[in-house]
Amino acid sequence: MKRLLFAAIAATLTASVSAQQPAQPNPRDAVPDKMPNDIPYGAPISLDRAQAAINAAVAESKKRGWKLNIAVMDSGANLVAFARMDGAQIGSVAIAEHKARAAVKFRRETKAFESGVQEGNLHYLLTLDDIIASRGGIPIIDNGQMIGAVGCSGGTGSQDEVVCKAGVDALAKR
Amino acid sequence: MKQRPMLTLEDCKKIAAAAEAEAKRNNWNVCIAILDDGGHLLHLARMDGATPANARIAVAKGRTAAETRRSTANWQERVAKRIELLRMPEVTPVQGGVPIVFDGTCVGAVGVSGVQSHEDEQIAAAGIKALG
Repeated sequence: MKRLLFAAIAATLTASVSAQQPAQPNPRDAVPDKMPNDIPYGAPISLDRAQAAINAAVAESKKRGWKLNIAVMDSGANLVAFARMDGAQIGSVAIAEHKARAAVKFRRETKAFESGVQEGNLHYLLTLDDIIASRGGIPIIDNGQMIGAVGCSGGTGSQDEVVCKAGVDALAKR
Repeated sequence: MKQRPMLTLEDCKKIAAAAEAEAKRNNWNVCIAILDDGGHLLHLARMDGATPANARIAVAKGRTAAETRRSTANWQERVAKRIELLRMPEVTPVQGGVPIVFDGTCVGAVGVSGVQSHEDEQIAAAGIKALG
């Protein structure tokens, strides 16, 4: 009985192997020469600049009649400043922080993860630690170094991103 | 239906500015957190030189004060007399968290961390005073 069963399994395996398409090259097997996202971690952002980013973000959000949460993390992914606008949803307090933290930890916009999962079918991204696959987290780069990040949440991802960008851009102008 | 007062972002900015001024006057680097009456974060400012832990602890103290409607100094005193209170879930019984009471209603709390506990409370109180 046992031997028969084994033979049956072996036959099934052989059939499935022969039915396979010729192997497609896996783009993730490519080995690039250079490091991706090789942005050095700079000194932690000061409270003054963090608050300037939040003020600019709040102003942009107000102008559009939106109510969002805005968080700023330093280059060590520690919270520096936070503001919840009147009426902003409380579930997004943690998400705003999460987006800013992920942007610092991975030195890229959280939109990269959203696109990776949605358009790139890179579902493995969701298995990585401390990821959030939703736009609205953007690193703050100063003189080629990352000094922190802004994270916004409370609206659609696209609304979060517009306000987040206003915060980051305000620092670039200063 | 009962109505209740609510902190605005403008109120928070006022509280945070006064608290920060009190800290600066004493050359203290602290983190100041303001939470609503549900214990959810409204505003946070970590002054330059305050540690990452200060940000976490300021929120924890403020949340305790907001959710229990009593200062964390009061918690500290009660824990000193009744050690079993340490088992109360989600409570940080260390001075520096002060509820914000408006018209007899707790509308939130301020939590401060960075210097000695009684100094943390001094900063929180200065912030709340600015609300008038």
